Amino acid sequence: MRQKRIKSGILVAVASVLAVLFLFPLVWMVFTSFKTLSESLASASLFPRQWTLENYASIFSASADSNMVQWTINTAIVTLIGTVLVIFVDVLAAYALARLDIPGKKVILGIVVVALTVPGIVTLFPAFYLFKSADLLDTYAPLILPYSAGTLGVFLIYNFLRSFPKELEEAAYLDGASQWQVLTKVIFPSIKPVVTTLGVVTFLAIYNDFLWPSLVTNSDEMKTLTLGVATLVQGSNFVNPAAMMASTVVATVPALIIFLWANKYFVKGVTNSGIK
Amino acid sequence: MTNKSKWLGFIFVVPFLVSFLVFWLIPLLYGIWISLHDFRLSVGNNGFIGLKNYVDILTPDTIYNRTFMTSLKNTLMFIVLSVPPLILISLGLALLIEHLPKKLKTFFRTVFFLSYSISVTAVSAIYLWLFGANGGYINNILMKAGLISSPINWTGDQPYAWLVIVIATIWWTIGFNMLLFVNALDEVDGTLYEAADLDGASAWNKFRFITLPEIRNISIFVMITTVIASFNLYGQSLLITRGGPEQSTSSLIMGINTTVFGNNQLGVGSAMALLMGVIMMLITGIQYWISYKSDKDDLAKPSRKERKRLKRAVNAGPTNVNQHPAATIDKKERKIT
Repeated sequence: MRQKRIKSGILVAVASVLAVLFLFPLVWMVFTSFKTLSESLASASLFPRQWTLENYASIFSASADSNMVQWTINTAIVTLIGTVLVIFVDVLAAYALARLDIPGKKVILGIVVVALTVPGIVTLFPAFYLFKSADLLDTYAPLILPYSAGTLGVFLIYNFLRSFPKELEEAAYLDGASQWQVLTKVIFPSIKPVVTTLGVVTFLAIYNDFLWPSLVTNSDEMKTLTLGVATLVQGSNFVNPAAMMASTVVATVPALIIFLWANKYFVKGVTNSGIK
Repeated sequence: MTNKSKWLGFIFVVPFLVSFLVFWLIPLLYGIWISLHDFRLSVGNNGFIGLKNYVDILTPDTIYNRTFMTSLKNTLMFIVLSVPPLILISLGLALLIEHLPKKLKTFFRTVFFLSYSISVTAVSAIYLWLFGANGGYINNILMKAGLISSPINWTGDQPYAWLVIVIATIWWTIGFNMLLFVNALDEVDGTLYEAADLDGASAWNKFRFITLPEIRNISIFVMITTVIASFNLYGQSLLITRGGPEQSTSSLIMGINTTVFGNNQLGVGSAMALLMGVIMMLITGIQYWISYKSDKDDLAKPSRKERKRLKRAVNAGPTNVNQHPAATIDKKERKIT
């Protein structure tokens, strides 16, 4: 027993050292954002000797070349509408495919699976050009709509529903409920865990997407936080680590909060999508 | 169900089908069509040219061949450098978490998974300044400690540039793989270990003959998704090293981007993207095939036929075949599919 305790003590120590290593870049980011410019460039210590809010003030100031407030608003609009849209589209489709006797069901299911195996890169540039031709670049449309074409969500909810007992629905039908009522009153409450999973995964995917928004936006006003901060990083004048870290803190905190709040669901979601 | 309600039910699928058609299927087909044309981003279609774009990309020493081959070579280099640590370290972390006291498991799992929620932009910004050449934090520390006399050009010299990109990538994405392994390890039947303990099996033998075969399916899945993710290298090398030094970290997606936007060649770029997609699907297919083949060749494991027999036996009723590892695998597979 004693030997076992020593062994687990060693393991906890190893895990703690690794945890410090993993957290270090994030902790460094936060502390650097409170350093002065000169200190952020020269210091070899983690803590700021002189704490300052100047970096945050500068990225939010009216004269700043960064549009942090507008980017935050854009990100909120794009991620919220995008996530709701994906959930709406995927739940409806998965429900019909799993539970209703609809025409072409097998074909649609086949398409869903095949589409999962095709790498995203092959549709990226033509989709960009279609938005360009429709004169929709630099609007919210390309930043929101294309995410709803993904088939992973349909696949996840479909699988979940298939292993879910039918008795409740049958009872509801006997009581005279319509398909829509069954979906909203019976199905939806019972698939909430998998829907939350899909919601969090989708939210983070849209929030953190970089390549696609960089194709479909031109103006500074239409950027999302992730894209906006990327242009700051790419800007050759951005030689101020303290200010850069302040902008990454602002861009990272919302996603981090959502992640920690939904950690439990996220863990489950990875399991669901992982086991095939 | 009547015909009418059949079509009523179909309405539920319509939003998805419309979205799928407009944002996936049409772009896919349009991309193939574009790749067969002299298509400029600025002026549009200059006419059908058949497979010329593909020929240009694959003919040695043309400008597009150089772009494609260099970026393909760099991307493969990144895969070779990043995939082994992303699999082995994540498995190590998962095994570590598995053996921690119960109360601490969730905490450490969350810590190692935390960075996965961050965008590639933030990851790049952090590593750009940790490993900055002048004024970067790591150089400051190394200089202060007297380990180096002048700053190391981490992001501008090889092999440091790859090192920084690989470290950033591992830190950013390893939590996802770890989580898959943690879940797979949780599913392993504990009685197998108890039986092995009674036989006095060593820790290594338990790992080799119980754990590894039990997590086989998840390992293949992790390997394939990791290779696919590494193929899509873009943000890290764009933002940390800007593709340098001397284009040595310029990835496939960067190469395609340059072709489409820098050279104004949407046709050639689309052909490159399709080639990249085909290469990715081929490599995925080869991985499936090899793992399927090694499954068949592995004599330590029961063959498919044998497993089917075991499965029937398990279904037939309670016998001691339940103790066999293959039986539990089959039970799980049935539960999942």
